[in-house]
Amino acid sequence: MTNVNTKNEMSRRKFMGLAGGAIGMATLASMGIPGWAANKIKIDPESLEYLEKETDVLVIGGGMAGLFAAVKAHDAGAKALMVSKGRLGSSGQTPFAKGIFAYDPSTAAMTLDEFTATVSRSALGSNNSVYTKQMAEHSLARVNELKDWGFFDSALYNKSFSKPINERNIPLLERIVITNLIKENGKIAGAAGFSLDEEKVYIFKAKSVILCTGAGGFKPNGFPICDLTHDGTIMAYNIGAKVTGKEWNDGHPGQATNAAACYDGWHGMFERKPSVNGIEVHHDLGVDLNYMAYTNGNPVQMGPPGAGESNPISGGPYIPAEFNRMSSDKPKDGPEDGKKPPRGERPEKGGKPGEGDAPPGMGGTSVGGSSAGMSIHKSEGLVPINDKCESTIPGLYAAGDALGSYMAGAIYTQIGSSLAGSAVQGAIAGEAAAVYSESANTPVISKAKIKALQEEMLAPLHREAGYSPAWVTQTLQGIMIPNFVLYVKKESMLKAALAYVEELRDHHAPMLRAADLHELRLVHETKNMIATAEMKLKASILRKESRCSHYRLDYPELDNENWQAWINIFKDEEGNMQFEKQAFNSWPNENLFHQI
Amino acid sequence: MGVIMEKRIRRYNIIVASIVFIGLPILFWALGDFPRRSSLKEILSVLTLVAFSLMLGQFFLARSNKKVLTGHKMSTIIKYHKYIGYIFVSVLLLHPFLLVLPRYFESGVEPTDAFITIITTTNSIGVVLGIIAYCLLLILGLTSIFRNQLKMSYKTWRVFHGILSIVFIAIATIHVIDLGRHTNTAMISYFVTLSGIGIFLLLRTYILKSSGGTK
Amino acid sequence: MAIENINGCIGCGICVQTCPTDVIRLDPKTKKAIIKYPADCQICHLCRMYCPVDAISITPEKSIPVIVSWG
Repeated sequence: MTNVNTKNEMSRRKFMGLAGGAIGMATLASMGIPGWAANKIKIDPESLEYLEKETDVLVIGGGMAGLFAAVKAHDAGAKALMVSKGRLGSSGQTPFAKGIFAYDPSTAAMTLDEFTATVSRSALGSNNSVYTKQMAEHSLARVNELKDWGFFDSALYNKSFSKPINERNIPLLERIVITNLIKENGKIAGAAGFSLDEEKVYIFKAKSVILCTGAGGFKPNGFPICDLTHDGTIMAYNIGAKVTGKEWNDGHPGQATNAAACYDGWHGMFERKPSVNGIEVHHDLGVDLNYMAYTNGNPVQMGPPGAGESNPISGGPYIPAEFNRMSSDKPKDGPEDGKKPPRGERPEKGGKPGEGDAPPGMGGTSVGGSSAGMSIHKSEGLVPINDKCESTIPGLYAAGDALGSYMAGAIYTQIGSSLAGSAVQGAIAGEAAAVYSESANTPVISKAKIKALQEEMLAPLHREAGYSPAWVTQTLQGIMIPNFVLYVKKESMLKAALAYVEELRDHHAPMLRAADLHELRLVHETKNMIATAEMKLKASILRKESRCSHYRLDYPELDNENWQAWINIFKDEEGNMQFEKQAFNSWPNENLFHQI
Repeated sequence: MGVIMEKRIRRYNIIVASIVFIGLPILFWALGDFPRRSSLKEILSVLTLVAFSLMLGQFFLARSNKKVLTGHKMSTIIKYHKYIGYIFVSVLLLHPFLLVLPRYFESGVEPTDAFITIITTTNSIGVVLGIIAYCLLLILGLTSIFRNQLKMSYKTWRVFHGILSIVFIAIATIHVIDLGRHTNTAMISYFVTLSGIGIFLLLRTYILKSSGGTK
Repeated sequence: MAIENINGCIGCGICVQTCPTDVIRLDPKTKKAIIKYPADCQICHLCRMYCPVDAISITPEKSIPVIVSWG
């Protein structure tokens, strides 16, 4: 049917035939030592040009958080530079987020503190109240700025995002894949990456770096996050930053037909202009849908969480009564929360909403796992040491989905707060990084370090044989995406999956090969996904309770005695993955955590 | 030749011309393996295709095609030539705008932004040729409407009009082949054949005139 | 196939920039957009919506090559 498929069918069949007989073996040998695994390099890795850039604040990522980080760092007097793997406003989850929350004190039905308390009740204490309140408090100001830039006038965001960036002449480098963060003398010193279009390697020397790299997933079918692979989190982890939130799960379902078609699965929502949401706090699990699918079999049932009528199921994730929409009197077939359905579409059925209001995967037969590998917005990422989005490494900041701020908690609470939170945190991180760089010196990065980084970054292009990132990714997806691994968890299965992932980590990741720059990007993304998978499995094994979006079949109850705590993950001096608990609503420097 | 015979030939000519210049491009559009889009977009596409093939047809609605047109009064032919010219030159002059018009009704890039991107993509030969062809077409149209004000003898104007048409159709055909969304092999062969014959007919009258000295 | 066809491309390169997963590239010879890495398409339609000449058509079906051999 397709070129790719035909070719693949051919080569697979050819391989089967070849492997079967002696003639085949001879042919394989004549093809060179590694045979089918040979790396047919299409570019000369030696010819790559090397470029150095210097700035005060380096913003990595061109989504909502990156936009505000660059703009506010510039406005605070710093020299800002933005670098993105994709195009401004057209990569990551930002282009698909259509609802943004604004807390308007003049019309809001509750005070900021009441709002924060409501979120905390829904999140069962797992949110960081400081970040929840901060998001609400600054949301209207950010929304008004976006309005001025024309954000609400188009379904496409590149133009409105370009406006403030161009007005300020902030240098913008697009389609540059950042592979490493650089640390010197215990502080952030910059980042390294390569261009997808030109054969160029970039070294950025920066006094401070803001990661606006979003979260990620395992390149799942049906959710537009196939370019998000937790790059920022893993790069930061690799230089010693603490990261968190790996046991939580976003539970979006997708549609059974054409499961890979994100656009179709979201029923025209991508074509909508963005709009503003008011206060609307949910406890939207997604995992309960997946629990139903697990117990009753696919497809997952539609309707509000817990509304399975034909086959009432017992057990499953706990939903606080206040937020249980099954008991509400809303019409089951009405549009989500009484909002208008996406333009030109039939009314959506109730269920877990996406960003904004229209729930993806609803309106046809739904199947789980469409956002596999992604945690709850703003819960996974770098551990902040204060309310300024600062990480555990001096000079390194993160904002939006790259920061484990627990703004929403371990469950998605306020609708549209994800986009608002990215804008708010981006602005805060931008200003904080600008202030930090005032007193910081331009870092010096040794030649030897740059050379080593370059070699590491480009090594997959030099391999004569190895594993293709596509194959390793598919293998990883086969391990991680099934509903009995990250969605409905139990120790035996988590440990089994972990054994596979460790194999990929130890044996396959070091042998990933790349034939061109596109594949080199895939190699780095695949490595980041493997590291993330290990974190997700280990954190899930550790959390011996069920809470919010983490559901353990073997520990189905809340454990408030032991688990009113977040799990932080960091690399120790020997390079081993370590874990610690940090009490809910505390900061890392308050010594409220202990090694586990 | 009798009057009835001439009438039949005239009718026959009109049918054949309609088939060749309207029927064939629509047929190639209908049979081609092109993705089908909204009806507005398809109607605009077909209108543009037909406008272009009727521009090619103008070469055959002129003195250069005298032999075939023996049954017709030349003044009537020139009248057709004018009307078709005015209508479909206008369509082709609107073509760059018709291209982005459907964006008004959907949520993609804004029509004005799309238009600016198109005309600033000057690294594309097709776009550059399109802009040149557009200017030539504009000159062709304006010099036809304001012929009397031009202080040019009719004969000079005719040569000017003919040569400008040849340059226009050559450049426009390359533009269409390079950028046309419906230019598959059939469509390309059709356009190239017609523009080839048209240019040949016109050049022949010039060559015959200069060597044979008919006048 | 996810992105099915690119018809009437003028080679402005916006789709190449716009694609989050780097599926489209400009052909070095023809200077026009080609579907270079179809397996990575996430069918998000951003390329289609950003294309100034509306040249891109997309179908919801996608076949990802199943890689069973150890490649």
